[in-house]
Amino acid sequence: MSLLAADGITKRFAGITALDDVHIAVDEGERVGLIGPNGAGKTTLFNCLLGLLRPDAGSVSFDGQSITRLPIYRRARLGIGRTFQRVELFSGSSVRDHLLFAHRIRSGTGALWKDLLGLGLPKPAEIERCDTLLESLGLGGMGDEPIEALSLGQSRLVEVARALMTQPRVVLLDEPSSGLDRAETTALADTLARIQTEQGFGLLLVEHDVELVATFTERTYVLNFGKLITHGPTSEVMRDDEVRAAYLGDFVAGTS
Amino acid sequence: MTDATTTADPAEMAPAPLVIPVLEMRHVNAAYGPFRALFDVSLSVGEGETVALLGRNGAGKTTVARVASGLVEPTGGEVMVDGNDFTKTRAYRYAKAGVVHVPEGRAVFPDFSVEENLTLAFSRTRDRSGVRDALARAFELFPPIAQRRRQIAGTLSGGEQRMLAMARVLVETPRLLIADELSLGLAPIVTDEVYAVLARIRDAGTALLIVEQHMGHALALCDRAILLDHGAISWQGPASEAAQAAGASLFDTGGDSRS
Amino acid sequence: MTASVLAAGVVEETIRAFFQGLPIGAGFALVAMSFVLTYKTSGVFNLAFGAQAFISAATYFELHVRRDWPIWSAVLVAVVLVAPVLGLLLERLIFRHVHAASAVSKLVISLGLLVALPELFKLIVDYNREQPFGAVGIIPDGTTVYRLFGRYPVTRDEIAAFVIVVAAALALAALFRYTRLGLRIRAVVQSPRMTELNGVNADWVSSGSWMLSSLFAGLAGVLLVPTTPSLGTVLEPTGYFPIVISALAAAALGRLVSLPAAMFGGLALGVVTTQMRTHVPRDNVILAELQGPALPYVMLFAIIVFWPAIRRQVAGADPLLGVSPPPPALAATSRSRGMTIYTRIMALAFFTAVGIWTFGYANDFWISRITHSVIFSIIFLSIVVFTGLGGQIALCQVTFAAIGAFGAMQFAQRWDISVIVGMLAGAAIAAAVGAVLSIPVMRLGGIWLAIATLAFALFFHDVLVKYSWVGGSLFHGRGVPRPEFLGVDFSSRENFLILSIAILVLVGVLIILIRESSTGMALRALRGSETAAESIGVISWRSRVIVFSVSAAIAAIGGGLLAMEERLVGYEANFDPQTGLFWLVIVVVLGARTVEGGIQAGVAFVIFPELVLHRWFGLDGAWRFVLFGFAAISFARHPEGLLEHGKRRSQALMQRAFARRAPAMAAAGAGGAAETGEEP
Ligand SMILES: Nc1ncnc2c1ncn2[C@@H]1O[C@H](COP(=O)(O)OP(=O)(O)OP(=O)(O)O)[C@@H](O)[C@H]1O
Ligand SMILES: Nc1ncnc2c1ncn2[C@@H]1O[C@H](COP(=O)(O)OP(=O)(O)O)[C@@H](O)[C@H]1O
Ligand SMILES: [Mg+2]
Ligand SMILES: [Mg+2]
Repeated sequence: MSLLAADGITKRFAGITALDDVHIAVDEGERVGLIGPNGAGKTTLFNCLLGLLRPDAGSVSFDGQSITRLPIYRRARLGIGRTFQRVELFSGSSVRDHLLFAHRIRSGTGALWKDLLGLGLPKPAEIERCDTLLESLGLGGMGDEPIEALSLGQSRLVEVARALMTQPRVVLLDEPSSGLDRAETTALADTLARIQTEQGFGLLLVEHDVELVATFTERTYVLNFGKLITHGPTSEVMRDDEVRAAYLGDFVAGTS
Repeated sequence: MTDATTTADPAEMAPAPLVIPVLEMRHVNAAYGPFRALFDVSLSVGEGETVALLGRNGAGKTTVARVASGLVEPTGGEVMVDGNDFTKTRAYRYAKAGVVHVPEGRAVFPDFSVEENLTLAFSRTRDRSGVRDALARAFELFPPIAQRRRQIAGTLSGGEQRMLAMARVLVETPRLLIADELSLGLAPIVTDEVYAVLARIRDAGTALLIVEQHMGHALALCDRAILLDHGAISWQGPASEAAQAAGASLFDTGGDSRS
Repeated sequence: MTASVLAAGVVEETIRAFFQGLPIGAGFALVAMSFVLTYKTSGVFNLAFGAQAFISAATYFELHVRRDWPIWSAVLVAVVLVAPVLGLLLERLIFRHVHAASAVSKLVISLGLLVALPELFKLIVDYNREQPFGAVGIIPDGTTVYRLFGRYPVTRDEIAAFVIVVAAALALAALFRYTRLGLRIRAVVQSPRMTELNGVNADWVSSGSWMLSSLFAGLAGVLLVPTTPSLGTVLEPTGYFPIVISALAAAALGRLVSLPAAMFGGLALGVVTTQMRTHVPRDNVILAELQGPALPYVMLFAIIVFWPAIRRQVAGADPLLGVSPPPPALAATSRSRGMTIYTRIMALAFFTAVGIWTFGYANDFWISRITHSVIFSIIFLSIVVFTGLGGQIALCQVTFAAIGAFGAMQFAQRWDISVIVGMLAGAAIAAAVGAVLSIPVMRLGGIWLAIATLAFALFFHDVLVKYSWVGGSLFHGRGVPRPEFLGVDFSSRENFLILSIAILVLVGVLIILIRESSTGMALRALRGSETAAESIGVISWRSRVIVFSVSAAIAAIGGGLLAMEERLVGYEANFDPQTGLFWLVIVVVLGARTVEGGIQAGVAFVIFPELVLHRWFGLDGAWRFVLFGFAAISFARHPEGLLEHGKRRSQALMQRAFARRAPAMAAAGAGGAAETGEEP
């Protein structure tokens, strides 16, 4: 039984079938890649998994339980964290606040009466935790900065940090490396790997940085025109002819 | 600073240069309110020249691109386009002078359809039939968006929106094309395609200023490279030496077949 | 009497009602299209429509009726000249600077203009409100009656309005659909910077669109006069208000962006209105209400809540927002420690001085003013909760305050229960009403929420208050006693003031606690991005319900206290929905994000007109509105609120005086260039 599984997801938009009978599964502690050409349906699949979109057919299950009908926040509280391809940040809040909110909401100390009694104020330990995570993602010292003052790549890192602060059991990352150069991408991969070993969550990664997918993930799914075309160990997938024709072009894995 | 940048005010000290660069930034400082982003940046892009702008996340690449197209007004220094002072000029004049800018991220009108996005861009210089031709060329360049010509641009996938943004400029051959985070969000096979087109319009005489996270592609295309660090230029020189100058650890050209 | 004769009578009535409805509908359509046009060309939901329409109409009458200009030249000046120039000024001075601002800010600015523009106009042109002009239109012999099919009467004015509506809808639709200019206008609304990158001068385009939409508003203004009963005798900006409500319903049918939908919607609503009046029996109270005053509000509310297109509407964000610097942080968060202590000491000294004066020396008049300030501060804190914390606008805070006041009254009158208990019960009822109200409007945001809550407020005002179980009966009057509570008698002015202050402090502290802890965090997250907030597990409906009910309860407590202070429920004077618009503007302009801001707004609201304007400068009411408008306009430049702006300025000065360290605003960024921060 997989931790997070999608069975036969189909999603149509006016005129296009964005997802066509897609099956994927992610387990705890696993690193899975999801690649495919632009418009293949990767982000749409993420949206179906988290509940931003209702699939037309198929079901999503978490920990053996069907969550197809649950609202977004219930799924998030079960332990699904995600980042957005188009950054979705809390404008008007500082960088640290983003992490603090995420931590707070997940740890469930949010009753109104507690707030009214003054028990809900942020504690030094919480702030400490946020800063540690920021530090490890290379954002140390930026905690007080307003979120609008960040460059694109920095914003993405904040999203990753926010997702990790919810103590997820599975994390969906949508192009986390865009806006980062190669060295920073490697650093991000190392950090993710380290935190994953500590917390043991499953990881589903959408990326066009094939290098990152090739080195970071164990298994990879490939989508094309909404259909799953292959699935298997990443190194095999990268050698697959169909994948090369549809997506990779003349990229050669492991040339670095 | 190194070669291409002169130390003193070039307008006064040097004899009139033989070739007037398309874009020149002299001792530019830039800031977002109280947040300072660029410090004394001087660079120039000559006629038909291709320059890659490289640097870490948050180094100020996007800010340079924004200053170069008039989106951000510098707090100090000058910006010259074709030898004319454009420092306090609004962005639309840069565009009219042939400096076009593809911003990073989803640079499209989200509530317009694909076709309306392109029509808006093409109709400034063309009549109805000209627009139709340009649309046809754009759709030929990027077949995925051709199938979605009536879709609202805000609902396109991230990569499709990038294609739309690129299609707006790749159909023309502007004087200077500034592309920020060029290959961001594009599938490798599309990135290859975009670079092929860029090489074509470079050969047709367009100057390029390219911001790119994956250095290999960019360096293969460009003559010159500029490294930014903490808002200041740390190195500039021929593209072939850029990787070395930046330090192999910082810039890994792997992941690119051309290098 | 046979069935066929009856049926023929019904058919006849239906047709008659149809032809009566069309002209009414044309009026709705005209206003609806004006709203749509402004929204579509500028992204502003322009409640100042009434002001623009009034200015053109009044100019026209001033010229044509009082100065005997011929019709054509009066129209030329009033509509073709004055209206676009007004639009140009609005764009240049105000709206150009708020393109990226939130829906809240834009709405507040347009509300300020709605109040200020007509008053300013009256001061400038010496407009004589005493003399009724009579309903004169711009069509020569407009009152000539024609008979359609020989039996249904219509006037020439009505025909003209109808023809102009249809022609304008076609012409404008063609403009947006087929021309380059139309495309550019729509582009600028989405992103002026992106438009400029395409080589188009965005400022020109946006000036042009404001001139166009203002021209249309002016045209609507003069066309509506002869066909609108509320404008018939005395031309006043408020005369446009009744028609605006139905027009909003029509505009909502086209999600504020479709001109044809607004036109058809307007016409259809006109016909529906007359059909309901003809056919729905009057023998049931509810049905009778539905034919009368309640109908427009119910329609508006229902359309906003149930029309599927509105829920789905998500405007795409400007892709180049990132070019602007972030909004500055609240002054309090960037103060150094020394400054904070200094500020606190000063504040303490100030309040002590005021307290000693009040309780030692002030006369009854001043004590009552100060009590009023305290109570209005409490009411305004409800706006701080809803708008400052929740980031949304509700235009029904007056209603909640009124519920509190009536609650106190009803409990005291009917059951002889202590007014304090009555007030708390009123607060509980208001909280419940707020919670219930929050459910249908759950998914609405920005302007739609504002409109829906306005519809609710007007419904309460025009319908519910008349019932004796709400607004009391004539027989009992609306008297409210001062409380006696826990053995203490609060009937003296001083004691009641102390009680009010205690409640204010309590409410203020609770709000700060909410803001700084989990609930406040969830609200800030939701305000930033609802999608992202839900994806980290924020329960958005729960937060919405909390905001609605907490803010309703606070408003109700304030309302109850106000009734006790005045010893009666001064509903008309205090709780009119239009007063509520005033409240919102003053709080937002002075600073809705902080408790201090709310309190200062309360003081300003009560003391300022009385003392500063009237006593010191001897200015009359009109100036008060004009100043108010200027405040709203200055808000365009300082969206953080005037007080916050002033504070930040003085803080910069003081910090220099303190000269201990560099300004705290400096960015601490390790992430890059920002680390040098602001240069001292
Ligand atoms: N709301 C929508 N309405 C219509 N079509 C949509 C909508 N959302 C997505 N699509 C279409 O569905 C397809 C899948 O989109 P999706 O965003 O999932 O692609 P993706 O695999 O994430 O691509 P990319 O790598 O470019 O991000 C695209 O062709 C897109 O145009
Ligand atoms: N809108 C903005 N407001 C304030 N600071 C900004 C803004 N945009 C960028 N910055 C800051 O300017 C610096 C340079 O950013 P940017 O030019 O976007 O970097 P790059 O494109 O190289 O990643 C960064 O430190 C970033 O935090
Ligand atoms: Mg995607
Ligand atoms: Mg950038």
